[in-house]
Amino acid sequence: MRRREFLYTASAFAGASALGLPRVARAQAAQTAVEAAKQFAGTEISIVWEAGLQALDPLNFSGPLWQEATGIRVNVIEVPTAEMFTKILQEHRAGTGAYDALNVIPAWMPDLVRAGALEPLDEYVDKYGYRQELQTIAPVYRDNQMMFDGKIYSFPDDGDVFILYYRTDILGDPEIQAAFREQHGYDLPVPPTTWKEFDEVGAFISAYTGNKPYGAAFFRDPPYGQFMFQERFRNEGGRFFDPETMKATINSAAGVKVFNDWLAENEWMPPGVQTWGFVENLAAFLQGDTAMTISWPPYGRWAAGYGTDEEALSWVPRSQIAGKVGYAMPPGGHPQLAAGFALSLSASSRKKEAAYLFMQWLNSEEISLKRVQLPTALRDPFRDSHFVSEEYMSRWPEAPQYLAALHEGAVKGLLDLSIIQTDRYEEALRQGISRLWAGEDPQAILDDVAAQWDQITERIGVDQQRAAYEAWASNAAAYPS
Amino acid sequence: MKRRQVRMAVRFVVAALVTVLFLFPIYWLAIISFKTPDEIFAYPPVWWPEQIQFANYAVLFKDGDAVTVWNSLVIASISTVFAMVIGTMCAYSIARFRTGGNLFSDWLLSNRMIPPIVIVFPVFLLFVELGLVDSFVGLILLYTAFNLPYVVWMMRGYIQDIPLELEESALVDGCTRWQVFVRVVWPMARGGLFATAVFTFVFAWNEFIFALVLTRSEVTTFPVQVTHYFGGQSNFWAKIAAMSVLGTVPIFIAVTLLQRFLVRGISLGAVKG
Amino acid sequence: MTDRGAMRGFSDGRRTGAAGARATPFVDRNFKYLMIFPAVAVILFIGLFPVIHTLMISVQNLTMLDEDTSFHGLVHYGRLLSDGRFWEAIGHTLIFVVVALPTELVLGLALAYLFLDRLPGKQVFVALLVLPVVVSPVIAGATWRLLFDQRYGPINQVIGWFAGEDVTILWTVDPAFVYPAILIAEIWQWTPFMFLLLLAALSNVDQSQLEAAEIDGASFWRTFFKVVLPAIWPVMAIAVLIRALDLFRLFDVVWALTRGGPGTLTETFSIYAYVQGFQQFETSYTAAMSLVVIILLAITVTLVLRRMEIDR
Repeated sequence: MRRREFLYTASAFAGASALGLPRVARAQAAQTAVEAAKQFAGTEISIVWEAGLQALDPLNFSGPLWQEATGIRVNVIEVPTAEMFTKILQEHRAGTGAYDALNVIPAWMPDLVRAGALEPLDEYVDKYGYRQELQTIAPVYRDNQMMFDGKIYSFPDDGDVFILYYRTDILGDPEIQAAFREQHGYDLPVPPTTWKEFDEVGAFISAYTGNKPYGAAFFRDPPYGQFMFQERFRNEGGRFFDPETMKATINSAAGVKVFNDWLAENEWMPPGVQTWGFVENLAAFLQGDTAMTISWPPYGRWAAGYGTDEEALSWVPRSQIAGKVGYAMPPGGHPQLAAGFALSLSASSRKKEAAYLFMQWLNSEEISLKRVQLPTALRDPFRDSHFVSEEYMSRWPEAPQYLAALHEGAVKGLLDLSIIQTDRYEEALRQGISRLWAGEDPQAILDDVAAQWDQITERIGVDQQRAAYEAWASNAAAYPS
Repeated sequence: MKRRQVRMAVRFVVAALVTVLFLFPIYWLAIISFKTPDEIFAYPPVWWPEQIQFANYAVLFKDGDAVTVWNSLVIASISTVFAMVIGTMCAYSIARFRTGGNLFSDWLLSNRMIPPIVIVFPVFLLFVELGLVDSFVGLILLYTAFNLPYVVWMMRGYIQDIPLELEESALVDGCTRWQVFVRVVWPMARGGLFATAVFTFVFAWNEFIFALVLTRSEVTTFPVQVTHYFGGQSNFWAKIAAMSVLGTVPIFIAVTLLQRFLVRGISLGAVKG
Repeated sequence: MTDRGAMRGFSDGRRTGAAGARATPFVDRNFKYLMIFPAVAVILFIGLFPVIHTLMISVQNLTMLDEDTSFHGLVHYGRLLSDGRFWEAIGHTLIFVVVALPTELVLGLALAYLFLDRLPGKQVFVALLVLPVVVSPVIAGATWRLLFDQRYGPINQVIGWFAGEDVTILWTVDPAFVYPAILIAEIWQWTPFMFLLLLAALSNVDQSQLEAAEIDGASFWRTFFKVVLPAIWPVMAIAVLIRALDLFRLFDVVWALTRGGPGTLTETFSIYAYVQGFQQFETSYTAAMSLVVIILLAITVTLVLRRMEIDR
């Protein structure tokens, strides 16, 4: 009887806190995890993390903090993005138990689940009372990056979204505006909202200022360009597949237009932009060499000079443009929710309990709010509370607009394509982009990519893939509505 | 006389230029490891940093990445010792008893010719079965096997150069075959052992494909670690350079010290050093 | 030459003299086999077993998501025949062999001649020149990526000095430059190897023959082809063979520089096999591909060895 009583009281308390005491509830998931994890003090868990900046979070912040609180050491295994999927699946095959927790790009999650590489989390979520806090993750991530086949396999942990960053001082320059109006016959839009406008503004700025600065620059390196393509292709009205036949339609007019527009843009963008990835594009923007760009959220923080005096960020060129940056949706209005990361538990882990608790703790309201504010790391706001955090809004003068743009992105954003063996489709696309830079004909390349996609679909099984595609395409965030 | 001196001077200058040209990439790699981030991403590129600083190395030790050099050392050393011992035994048998005839030694050598990529896949599956993925034992075994044909080939040549009389008189003195091998042949082949071991070691030290596929976290070797810094948000040139230098300096020292063994080792014994 | 040292009486295993009484008979009787046993066991384990395993897998249908071990016949081999990307990869590999090998040979020979006669500081030069050879190839690739970087690398900078304006050559993207980039890296690393071997070989050429040729008034080239080349041929043949096999398995440098791109333009066989096997998890298909290459390679090497008649 006593035991029963206790359980009743406990559940009543939990219910009460869920309804009326969000602050307490917030503290709870993190605290529960820490308390429960203490029994594993002295062990070591390994977590796969994207190599580079992303890994600074567990290396310099969350790892040490967790060890201090629980006595569990966190071994961070840095793996380059291009190798993460391979390594995780290889490890699953090998089953050595070398990885306990995983960072998973949500678009891969279904494949990893089908291969049996991920452990379902429902049981742990219930056991450690985490359901409540999972619900407060921003809907687009919560609804699309967490479950597969009705089970929870990962905790969305990174609100990656492509935002347009533009120089308010340059686009707002009266002289430039006047000259633009004279040449194009309409007011320079601040910021441009269609690709036509964007290209006219960009080309104009390059020409007018003598490339000081260039009108814009983008990610063009295929691994990044691939996301840019997915976004722009869909904003131009493109569809990946014919839902009836499952024939690839990536070589449609929309696709060819994107490729042709890219080639035309390269003419007024910085030379060598074809190879630009995250850092090259970042350096150019922060140094004031480009007036507009589209990228992940950290650009906004660093452009404002937030935290860039930290030693770990010393490689980021000092921002010359703090206070001069505006944030907006990319042309077309629907940004790519590009990549992102979610936390999953490796099915071959031998320390599942401890690894799970670490994940819950990382992902909790309390700790995640700290993590998305780390200037060095690359985790971006992904919970409803992050977007309205007073603390975050006070970080730099334009932070409220920044968070509002991220929030809008989370509402209007487009999901990465996620079907069966998504990476093979993306790989074909990446190769297509690199062939574009090698000078081949856009239509011919896309026809070839479409043929490869069809081939992949056939090998997987048309019916099976159609079902997966239908499920994905039924999301509101699959195509612009 | 005069002409000859001019010729030599010209040759000297050309030789110096060529050497500088060939060493420049190594210089560039090394100098980047001492640069600050601003200097690495400076345009135009900076050829000499304002101040030599070791922060790029410090971070490798702080984060524990430097341990991969130790992993490489353990794996390369132990596999070299194994390969040398069992390879020399085999070489002795072939050199002195013609065990297995030409066919056997041809087959041994042909194993050396298989491209690693062809073998790495089945080896991966095999190691999965045996639980040897991401273990020291696995890589040591693999490198031992991969070096064996080379060791046998090289040591056979050296052993054939050892005068037979010594072994015969040891036998007459009542040594067993095994004692003859250990007490007479092994010490006599010392020079050859060094020459062969250098290259066995270099191979294991530098190997990439096997290590890429067969390591996870515990036994990552330094070449694999270096590739971990590619990609992500950027190529982390500072870490790439510093880690590369950490892994390359030991091998430079070893090779310079053992310079005189180099030619014979490198040529599969075709050039007698 | 194989018979050198294997003298009469020694090899028959019976002439153990006084030792026979004390030695373990079994060990001495089977000594020669016991001595090769560990080596053979290890090589069989790592070399032969996987090949057989590969053969088995290649007639099944294992993929990333499918663990189908039933017999599928030769479908994967059939697919290989019509897989353009595979044959292109073989073609790219051969391009690297055909261009890099002669270049390394000629440059190595020229260098060897440069250092052949007395030269102040020769030892130091040679010691320094050999360093590229022992750099891990993947590190060499990374190094060249730094050098070739279109913005932060010194190569475009130096070219810019000569051109008198900033140049932006995209060494790892532009189809006109990716092959030169990879080849330069490859040639940089392995020319010293050729040099070292050929220097040793040239030093061993019989001086009296050279002097005789000089007295006859033979030209440099005539002396080279009639006297020097035959003398250094055995070493050169070995060097060429080693390098050809290494080039055929080219992976690390390409991996670090272009990963086979742009598109699949520089994809070598090794890279394609890695992509199929470990990124796309086409397990059975990769197995079939591996076997085909082993067989092609075995045939080629045997034929080449016959022709070159290398002293073994």
